[in-house]
Amino acid sequence: MRNISSVLGRLAKTISVGLMLLFAVTMSHAQDVKEGQALFKSKCTSCHSVTKKMVGPALAGMAERHSEEWLVKWIHNSQALIASGDPAAKAIFEEYNKSVMTSFTDLSDDQIKNIIAYVKDEEAKAAAGPAEGTAADGGAAKSDDANLLMIVGLLAIVVLAVVVIVVLNRVIRTLEKVIANNQAAIEAAQARNEQYKESGKAKFAKAFLKNKKLVGFAVLMLVALLGVAGWNTMWNVGVHTGYKPVQPIKFSHQIHAGVNQIECQYCHGGAFKSKNASIPSANVCMNCHNTITGSDHYDGELSPEIAKIYKALDYNPDTRTYGNNPRPIQWVRIHNLPDFAYFNHSQHVVVAGVECQTCHGPIETMEEVYQYSPLTMKWCVDCHRETAVNSDNAYYDQLIEAHEKLKKGEKMTAAMIGGLECGKCHY
Amino acid sequence: MKENMLAMNKKNFLGSVCAAFALAAVVSSCGDGTKRSTGWEFSRNMYDPIAYNPDQPNNNFKNNITAQLPPSGTTPIGFERFEFANSLEEYERAGRELTSPLAVTKENLAKGDALFHTYCAVCHGKDGKGDGPLTKDRSVEDSRGKRQLENFPPPPSYAKSDAANSSRGGLMSDLTDGKIYHTIYYGHNTMGSHASQLSPEERWQVVMYVHELQKK
Repeated sequence: MRNISSVLGRLAKTISVGLMLLFAVTMSHAQDVKEGQALFKSKCTSCHSVTKKMVGPALAGMAERHSEEWLVKWIHNSQALIASGDPAAKAIFEEYNKSVMTSFTDLSDDQIKNIIAYVKDEEAKAAAGPAEGTAADGGAAKSDDANLLMIVGLLAIVVLAVVVIVVLNRVIRTLEKVIANNQAAIEAAQARNEQYKESGKAKFAKAFLKNKKLVGFAVLMLVALLGVAGWNTMWNVGVHTGYKPVQPIKFSHQIHAGVNQIECQYCHGGAFKSKNASIPSANVCMNCHNTITGSDHYDGELSPEIAKIYKALDYNPDTRTYGNNPRPIQWVRIHNLPDFAYFNHSQHVVVAGVECQTCHGPIETMEEVYQYSPLTMKWCVDCHRETAVNSDNAYYDQLIEAHEKLKKGEKMTAAMIGGLECGKCHY
Repeated sequence: MKENMLAMNKKNFLGSVCAAFALAAVVSSCGDGTKRSTGWEFSRNMYDPIAYNPDQPNNNFKNNITAQLPPSGTTPIGFERFEFANSLEEYERAGRELTSPLAVTKENLAKGDALFHTYCAVCHGKDGKGDGPLTKDRSVEDSRGKRQLENFPPPPSYAKSDAANSSRGGLMSDLTDGKIYHTIYYGHNTMGSHASQLSPEERWQVVMYVHELQKK
């Protein structure tokens, strides 16, 4: 008895100690990964990703490619390692266009090990990613099931249809027999019916034509409808309000200006500096899209829309180099003033301080951009009639000065009011 | 009797006109008001420019672009060249040799502030702490459904209090005029070049404002 209880007691002890040890190990592992994550985010992400090649190589599998000792040396001072003639170090340096990796002498060996642990953890997670792929296969199997269901359903419908046809045939035969029995009575009834039908149609037409009021109203109705349609059409000739063409890239202003809060000026700086709001050249896209590839939503592949930017620039994301065969993106112009009307963006945006949204509408919510304002002359004039001028600038200072001079009766030449500006004659 | 009929006619006439307008209004209010075509146009040639707009295709050039780059080796009038190459040595040299030509004035600082908020804060954060909206978790809901957007890797903070390291050595809060200017011009790591978006004067205004953020 005593023997058994002591054995059980020992067993319980070992189990509890074992559990505690296991717990401690997993805890310390979790801590490693967590610390590694914090370090990775603060020190590494500007050049490295676990799964993607960025400025530096993708870090997945680095523990298999290199020893821990080598990695510590490399992270502490990659240049020293290259100078020491290490072949692996040299190869990486050459592969990444001799870009120098920052020396992280401030990282301790343990910290570097934590980063390696984090990378391994992420790697495992990424490897678990394809499991989702198998889940998708499951989905495919499901859709196969659905196909089977559909085929069975179709067969059932066909069988049902055949049964219905057979039954109907029986009914028709029976009815034909009944008709043959009562031929005379039926003929009489048919004659009566036709007479009634004829008179019904004619009656309606005649009654309608006879009722002059009704005809009049019908005509009026038609004229009014055509009039309204014609009026609307004529007023809207050349007015492109609501025009939303299909663009070569599915660029969403909702994502970029709305969610990401990128200022309009970041891409359309021309609106602040010139007549034209300017469509950004693709190098501006690359300020972010050298890193952002949308791969989260395309199973780790490059988004097909972002691929269009790369194609336009002849950019190779694998080598991160530009070719010499760029082909510009041919965006479809939405806002188009007639060539005889002069409009200057900077005058409105900088001088008058008009918000972009005043004319372009809620751009930051538009997944696809459409023309918000009519851009008609009436629309321009209405705003110009109401807008108060901000006279607190050098232009009006000069104007007031000139008026003062005129009041005093001083001599004023054309040159004094800008008559020597080149653009006055050579515009 | 006749008068009566006329009155009735009038009423009915008005009624039908109202009905017609109502019907037209209902029909024309269908849809969200956007369309794929420009609709009818009258005298389209008055809209199309005779001269080429900069963003128009142009068959007179080999690459079909109107806005041609200046020939290599030429300098447009009023264009300031940047005489430092894109390398670590040249970056260090810019840090030693280049200083801002602008005086620290209220106007310059205000402009630098505005430019920083437009061109830099989206990643660097409005206080330069590397916490701009692009570095944070965000999601969008549109025709493709609701989904998470990719985060941009956060840049290191400029602030003295954070004592963040620059990836090219030294503290972010110790970056000099020339080094910041060099980075704006060429970009570094995941940051792209902002030379096409900022004029030399604007770059120096941004540099001036970054110095303010370094003090924090």
